[in-house]
Amino acid sequence: MFKAMLIKEFILVLRDRHALAALFIMPAVFILIMSLALKDTFNSGRALSTYAVIDEDNSDAAVRLSELLRENKGFAQQAISGSEWKHAQNHDIHFILTIPAGFSRNLEKNETGGGAALCRLDVGAEVKENILAIFKLELAMAITRLRIETIKDELAVYLPETAQEFSGMDFSPDKMVDVHFNAMTGNEKPTSTQQSVPSWIVFAMFFIVIPMSTIFINERKQNTLSRMNAMNISIPALFAGKIAPYMVINQIQVWIMIGVGMFIVPLFGAAPLTLGNSPGGLVLISLGLSLAAVGTSVLIAVTAATVEQATTIGGIINILLGALGGIMVPKFIMPLIMQKVAAVSPMSWGLEGFLDILLRGQGISAVIPESGALGGFGAGLLIIAAMRLKRSY
Amino acid sequence: MITIKKLVKRYDDRLALDHLDLSIAKGVIFGLLGPNGAGKTTLIAILNGLTDFQEGEIEIMAMPLGKNLKKIRKRCAFIPQSPAFYDNLSVIENLRFFAGIQQISGSERRDNLDYAITINRLQPLLGKRAAILSGGQKKRLNIAVGLLNKPEIIYFDEPTAGIDPETRNDILSTIRSFKDENKTVVYTSHYMAEIEQICDEVAIINQGRIVRQGQLKSMLAEENVDSVVIELVGTSPIQLEKFARKQQKTVVLDQASLMIAERNPAAIGKILTELEAEKIMVKGLRYGTTNLESLFIRLTSRENNSDV
Repeated sequence: MFKAMLIKEFILVLRDRHALAALFIMPAVFILIMSLALKDTFNSGRALSTYAVIDEDNSDAAVRLSELLRENKGFAQQAISGSEWKHAQNHDIHFILTIPAGFSRNLEKNETGGGAALCRLDVGAEVKENILAIFKLELAMAITRLRIETIKDELAVYLPETAQEFSGMDFSPDKMVDVHFNAMTGNEKPTSTQQSVPSWIVFAMFFIVIPMSTIFINERKQNTLSRMNAMNISIPALFAGKIAPYMVINQIQVWIMIGVGMFIVPLFGAAPLTLGNSPGGLVLISLGLSLAAVGTSVLIAVTAATVEQATTIGGIINILLGALGGIMVPKFIMPLIMQKVAAVSPMSWGLEGFLDILLRGQGISAVIPESGALGGFGAGLLIIAAMRLKRSY
Repeated sequence: MITIKKLVKRYDDRLALDHLDLSIAKGVIFGLLGPNGAGKTTLIAILNGLTDFQEGEIEIMAMPLGKNLKKIRKRCAFIPQSPAFYDNLSVIENLRFFAGIQQISGSERRDNLDYAITINRLQPLLGKRAAILSGGQKKRLNIAVGLLNKPEIIYFDEPTAGIDPETRNDILSTIRSFKDENKTVVYTSHYMAEIEQICDEVAIINQGRIVRQGQLKSMLAEENVDSVVIELVGTSPIQLEKFARKQQKTVVLDQASLMIAERNPAAIGKILTELEAEKIMVKGLRYGTTNLESLFIRLTSRENNSDV
């Protein structure tokens, strides 16, 4: 019986071009677009901002300051001529650092020239406060290092042994701080692909509402359900005949989308998806999520009067759950209150499960709570749907 | 084969079946005749376990319905009025699916598929998508699906609604052929010509009660009322039903004709005028030769008038 239902449901979905587009093409395109669009957001090699240095001091100290600033790849130094700087905005430069005449002398004296700053910073109007704060800190750090180097040179003349103690000091950030991303494996870093693939897998899985409700409502309208009832097909058997095929379809979706992340996205220049350490964890969380998606879809199919109603309601529910659950907008950039609200969406539970495996490198035990909650949610909705259907079946 | 005693079915306050008694013998083609809303479809739904009932007893194949529903269903088939299969599956895919969910397998499956296909002459259509079949071909597939378990009892709920006369005759002769296989057929319709054409026994149901049951031949012999048949063009069954309900002693004979159970020229003239007013064209007029209609009108009119 299940074999017949499985074959029937597969043939009907395969012959429904709209369903295929919603289930497979839409999420694959989303993964590709979002991985490419967010590529630079997760790229540590990409500069946050650009700046230029105008050296009016023409001193060794000014040249050294410029060198020290260049060590930080977070800000890209661009060369411009003195006459161009007033039009720096046209060059897409966010900061103009002017090292004024007398900078070297003031630095040596450890003075700021009668209350004036050591150098001047012109800032583009579009620059965000936090970027400005980071750049100012970077500049202050470079000037401090310059001062220490100046002191070291002076000490080398009068106290060579003490100066020797300073010579081994390395102020580069990588030497001072060893960064490890939370729960990432080895030297892995989070990438846009690692973030996008789970989001759009979760979103796509809920779109089984389209073929499922279309088929189910047509079955009801055409009396096929009555006929199946008269052929001794009980509601649990009917639901099992729906759950099994769509869970298989969801698994196909998951692994196709993972394939897109691993093999297609890199062809367009974004980082490939890496699978983490737990394929079993991926299967478990996707099965839990699948049951939640099937439960939601069956309840919508049983409740809605027409196919149009079901696909509209289903679409709206999916988009709301997605927006709430961190699919459209990553949860970490939401305000705290919205992050708490996100916890009501089963898509959020599923997404966290996928991120546990794909992003945080955790194992199967990490996704058991989310998988259990999703399975329970799906089962609950199926029970409600069965009770509703019992009135008319 | 089927025994129904004091069957009561209520929908909220409305009494759909009112202490209905009915008995159907094995191997007969049994016509269940009644106006729309009389309770025919409700009765068929109850016999198939699709609707529950409040009071009464039903025995099918000597088994009480409630406890033995699953066993009984395995030996029965319900052919719904509208085609109940999948438009996006081919004819053979549909047949295989419905055989599969009934857990018919192996040589039995092969035999039963052959039987359903052959009886309904579906061989040339097996690879065709159901959506592109003609109305008549869809009706044949609808019947074929019901025959996959080689049922002993077949319930037909108005199987000829909305199809052309040629296909209708074709389906009626298929149904008639089940008598040779000793199958019991329960056939609901409000087209009396069809009932006369294929049925051995008839029950007339009105307002949830059986108002007459018996051998068709003896019922016709008893009835001798003059009638007039008006043949029409450019109308639909729904429009015709609506029109007939507004008239006295008038019933829909088939999808393109009305029967009036009298020959009074003034009464006939009045009906012709009203047909013209409703833009229903009259193709011809003849004296009625069948008596089931007049019996039906007499029985159902008397019941309905007593309500007024």
